[in-house]
Amino acid sequence: MIDSATAPAPPPPVEVGAYSVPGLGYRILAGGARLIPLLILLVGLPVAALTFLQSHGISLPVPILTVEVAGVLISVLSTARYIVKPTAAYGPVSVATSAVTIAYLLVLLAQASYTLGVPGSSVGISVGYARLLELALLVPTFALVAGLVTTVEDLASPKERLPFDYPA
Amino acid sequence: MAAPTPPRTRRPPGLYRLARALRRVSVVIVVLLLLFLATVGYSAFELVRSSPQQSGGYSAGFDSNDTISVTGSLSVSNPGWYPLSGFTLSLRILNASGVYLGEVSDGPVTLAAGATTSVPIALYLPVAANGAAESLLVQNQYLDLGVWGNATYAYLFPVSVHFDQNKSWGAPFSDFSVSVGTPSVANGSTTVPVTISYSNDASFAEAGSLGMTVRSSGGTACGGATYPLNVAPQSFYYETRNVTLATGCSIAGGSVVAVYSGNGVNLALPPEPLP
Repeated sequence: MIDSATAPAPPPPVEVGAYSVPGLGYRILAGGARLIPLLILLVGLPVAALTFLQSHGISLPVPILTVEVAGVLISVLSTARYIVKPTAAYGPVSVATSAVTIAYLLVLLAQASYTLGVPGSSVGISVGYARLLELALLVPTFALVAGLVTTVEDLASPKERLPFDYPA
Repeated sequence: MAAPTPPRTRRPPGLYRLARALRRVSVVIVVLLLLFLATVGYSAFELVRSSPQQSGGYSAGFDSNDTISVTGSLSVSNPGWYPLSGFTLSLRILNASGVYLGEVSDGPVTLAAGATTSVPIALYLPVAANGAAESLLVQNQYLDLGVWGNATYAYLFPVSVHFDQNKSWGAPFSDFSVSVGTPSVANGSTTVPVTISYSNDASFAEAGSLGMTVRSSGGTACGGATYPLNVAPQSFYYETRNVTLATGCSIAGGSVVAVYSGNGVNLALPPEPLP
């Protein structure tokens, strides 16, 4: 039996109708700030690593252009998702972001074995990472389903989620 | 005066809670994958640092079925946090001309995290007459050693490593040669001095005898002699024996066939032509 004096307090209930959506300007500004680390994570670091390998004559597991295009696309869509979160476009943009991420991971999965040939030596190292990518595919898949659910929710009851996404 | 109306509160709607739960699950998976990748990276780095070590060195020697055996073991340690499963090791040897001599495979073994194991290696090279590795008996050479290692690391990552190495081989009967001296006739018998010389450039000693037969150009055995052997590694051998030839047997254009008997084997050396 739980002592009521020590039991954790329940989350504060949300008042129906009480919400405060940040203005579009603020969301664009915050989204832009959010875009920077995304670009570093999805474009800057991978491209730097691939360029380093290329400069040492080591074959690349994936073309740099693919990483750049996919990284920019996912970052921009993710930022757009953040900006349109209070609107009915949130669900579809979430679905689009997840779909692009899934497509990117599937492209990587198609060539998920990397053979590293060390220049000037007879050593060859091959690493497969298909299973890791398959596990990683779970992430955008769950996000895609979440986006579909939100789309359905927004169609059925517009603005129903706003008090919970933006409590006052 | 009416009492103030308490604020109406309610739980988030079902669809909202479902979407939120799905998003949270995806975030949890991302965090777990990143933690997993970080620990795998660290473990793999530790594994590479403790690269397989040769334990106790390799030993070579004559073996049964007209082979030379090369045996040893490789110590593999896995200091990381994840197991190395299905580890197999394969070695393939080619001679200097690219002719396949033999191969050996070990495994699969599973190496638990933090464990060390020893992988035995036993390679048998067929050095019988006309065998692929016959030249190993009499010719020092560089051998092309190809090594393949395959395993699955941290449950998810199949890894394959391959490298080639050149290994010098010292032949046990290096530069084996036979020279025949001037025949002499006494009491109706013809005797020729036959000198055998070679260098034992192998890492093992030869103890036994060398049975030598002189043949005519038609392959008829004209005579023979036995040369006792007790030759240490990296030693030179030079011995002359008088061979009495069978009546009417000419060795001009013939050959000498020598068979090494010792170390539990009987091994024919490549025939040496006579002038």
